[in-house]
Formats: sequence, C-alpha cells, structure tokens
Amino acid sequence: MNALQIITLISGILVAAASGAVGSILVVRKMTLLSDALSHVALPGIALGILLHFDPLLSGIAVLFLGVLLIWYIETKTNLAIESITGVLFVTALAIGALLIPQADILEAFFGSVKNMTVLNALVQSGVALGILSFIIGYLKPLALSAIAPDLSTAARVSQSRMELFLLILIAFTIAVGVSFVGVLLMSALLIVPAVTAKNIANSFKGFVGLSMALSSLSLAAGLTLSNMYDINPGLMTVIVSACAFFVSLVFRKKAL
Amino acid sequence: MAEKALLKVENLTVHAGAHDIIRNISFTLNQSEVLAIIGPNGAGKSVLLKTLLGIMEPTSGSIEWAENVRVGYLPQRFLVDLYLPMTVGEFLDLKPQRVHSNKDVLKLVNIEESWLPRRLAHLSSGQLQRILLAWALLDDPQVLLFDEPTENVDVAGQESIYALLHHLEETMKIAILIVSHDLHVVYQYANNVLCLNQKMMCFGTPDVTLTKSTLTELYGEHAHFRHHHE
Repeated sequence: MNALQIITLISGILVAAASGAVGSILVVRKMTLLSDALSHVALPGIALGILLHFDPLLSGIAVLFLGVLLIWYIETKTNLAIESITGVLFVTALAIGALLIPQADILEAFFGSVKNMTVLNALVQSGVALGILSFIIGYLKPLALSAIAPDLSTAARVSQSRMELFLLILIAFTIAVGVSFVGVLLMSALLIVPAVTAKNIANSFKGFVGLSMALSSLSLAAGLTLSNMYDINPGLMTVIVSACAFFVSLVFRKKAL
Repeated sequence: MAEKALLKVENLTVHAGAHDIIRNISFTLNQSEVLAIIGPNGAGKSVLLKTLLGIMEPTSGSIEWAENVRVGYLPQRFLVDLYLPMTVGEFLDLKPQRVHSNKDVLKLVNIEESWLPRRLAHLSSGQLQRILLAWALLDDPQVLLFDEPTENVDVAGQESIYALLHHLEETMKIAILIVSHDLHVVYQYANNVLCLNQKMMCFGTPDVTLTKSTLTELYGEHAHFRHHHE
C-alpha cells in the first residue's frame, strides 16, 4: 500500500462512519427511499464536473442541494408526498446525468472509483465527514426524538421541519463525499445496509448508532482493500461485504416479545 | 380566590382545508383542576389538544397559557417499532427540558429503577403509557394534557393510570386536561366537563352539566354510554 492508498482508506473509513451515523437516523425515521433516490440526483452534478473540468465533489454538492431545495419547494407548494416527488426527480436526474456523462466514465460514476483520488480530495472528504459526525453527535437527541415520536417532539418544542431540513442537508453532504467510493447507484451500501444490520442486533440506541458506523466503516475498508488486491471495483466489493453482514445479522435479530 | 388561570381559551376555531374541525370553543383551566373533554368520534377532541400544544395552528380565536407554564403531554398513541433498539432510560434522556431525574419520575409512576435498561419494544401498551407519563413529568409540569387511548389498552392498565393521575393531581397540584371516552372517569375525577361536537355543547360540573338530554344531543339517540355513576 502506498501513502495515497492509506490516506484514501482513512478518508473512506471516516466517510463511511458519517454515512452509518446519518443512515441510522434515516432508518428509524423511515426515510431510506428518499436518501437512495437523492444519491441519483448527484449524477448530473458529477457529469457537469467531468465535462467542465472541475472537482465533481463540488458540482455534486451543488446539484444535490438544488435537488433538496426542489423537493422542499415542490412539497410545500403542491402537498404531494415527498416520496412521489423524489421518485420523479430521481429518474429524471439519472437520465440527464447518464446522457451528459462521457461513456468512458459512466461505470465509475455508477459504481464508484478511487483511481483518480488525490490527497486533496481525500482531505476534503475527511473534513466533510468529520463535520457530519460532529453535527450528528451534537444533535443526536433531537434528531432521534423527532424520528421516533413526532408529536412528543413538537410538544417539547423540537421543530419537525427543522429536523427534516437538517437531515436533508446531512444526506446531501454524505452522498457528495460517499459517491466517489461507491458510486451513485450503491450509496445504500454505506447509508442504509449497515444501519438496517445494526438495528437487527443492537440492544440500545447508542449501540445501534455506533454499530451502524462501525459496520459501514468495516464494509468500506474491506471493500477498498479487496479492490486493491484483486483490481475489482471498490463499490461492488463494499456492497457484497455489507450485504453479507446483513444476512448474518438476520440470524441474531432481536425481536420484541 | 382570584387565582390566575393556567389556560384561557377564547373563541378558538380550527380549520383543516375548508372545513371547521372545531368552532368557537371557550374555556379556562385553573390550578389543580381536572377538566374532561368528551364527545363522539370525529368531534375534534384530539385536534383541540394538538392546537393547545402548538402541534396544529388555530385559525382564529386565542389560546392564552399562563406565563412560563410547563405543560406535559400524553399522546393517544405512541407506536414503537417492534425492532426499535432503545431503552427506557435512553428514551427518557431524549427529553430536552427536565427538572427531575429519570429515577425520580419512574418512582412517581410506580415503576422500578431496574426498568431503565429495558427495551421500549418489550413493554405492553399499559406499561408504555406509564413510561409516557414519566416522560411528561420530567420537567415538573403544572398542566398535563392526556389524550385517552381508545383501543389496545387493558382495563387494569387504564384503572391504574387514572389512579396515578388522581394521585399526582392531589400530591403535586397538577391541573389535568383529559380527553375521555369513559363517562365513569369523568364523573369520578373531573371538576369540569366540556362537551364537544365541533362546537361546544356544554361546559360545567359533570353532575349538573351531563343531563340525559345533553348526552343524547351529543352522542345521538341510541348511543350506549359507559356510565356507572354511583
């Protein structure tokens, strides 16, 4: 392993830990479909970055925020269910992105690639990931409360719409830093699969969030290492590792009496 | 006794879309008073509670809470996902405003401290309701708003929650506003009763207010009342 690979691995572990933390709230709040769909919205952003020769991370974030604002706007103006809007938006974004992106780069955008990772990329991603983590840790209680008991949360003056906006912003940042590792189609491998696995086996909420972060990081670390060894796409390996953990967790599933 | 009302509601109207859900409701709630709100399904009882709490917006009229009043809320339903990994202690820790410790409020609702590491998903609906009451008591409320469950609560569990509420009202001087489906409860515990069917049909002490004609008007001719007035 060379220095760049080690830096990439560390940045990947931090990004995955942030994804696991955000994912645990999304799973409890039943917003998993939304995050999955939003990751596709990053594709036109990545395409623009490649075409116009600037960092796809920045253009990805820009387009994701545009997507989040659009969903927010359409939801408040039309009263359509957020899932319906997301459904429309995500196929549209996927189609536009796939049309714009050069054929040679399309698989990497779909399934992730760390081949062109630079030290600067890795540092920026680590910084964003640490930002997401510290925000989640600081706001874990209100985020959890508004996810499990919306009425109690409003009565305790924790604003539902503010928490929802926080989450959308967190999802946007998480996807923006996660897609270079696992691609737009496989973001769920970092966001959702580890959280669902952790929910199966955790006994407490803290254990759940911690386990989700750990599983996400382990999956990505294993995925990156395996992809280095056998020259396979890292995103695909990460999905396989995190899916294996999920199936094992089914055996130990903690059900209520 | 010219004590200041904890809650003063005047001409409260709430719309959903173009429809009135409740119309021109006025009442007051004083310290350590129990006010029961009764009415048929769809009368707007839960909407009234949610509007008082700020979960829903009033269309017109005014809601005036006493300054810095602390309000506790027991929702009708608290659905816990069967796989939610959260303990009783962790749930109580989520309360943003608190005066009492988790142990203190568990004692108030007659639950042992050993329940703190238990998972919420493992509790029965009656046990969960007592945990919700403990949650509501964490910030030492002066008023409790209790939306009585209509289903899925065992009779013994309900009896004990009323006994508990009654005890809290007497020892801690908490005012209670309760949405009730059980006239027995209203006669036994309430100082005042408000009959609601979109608009206000009656307001006063239960023995004077709840006449046969009022109840018939409220629930319909053939309604069966759960009424065991001694």
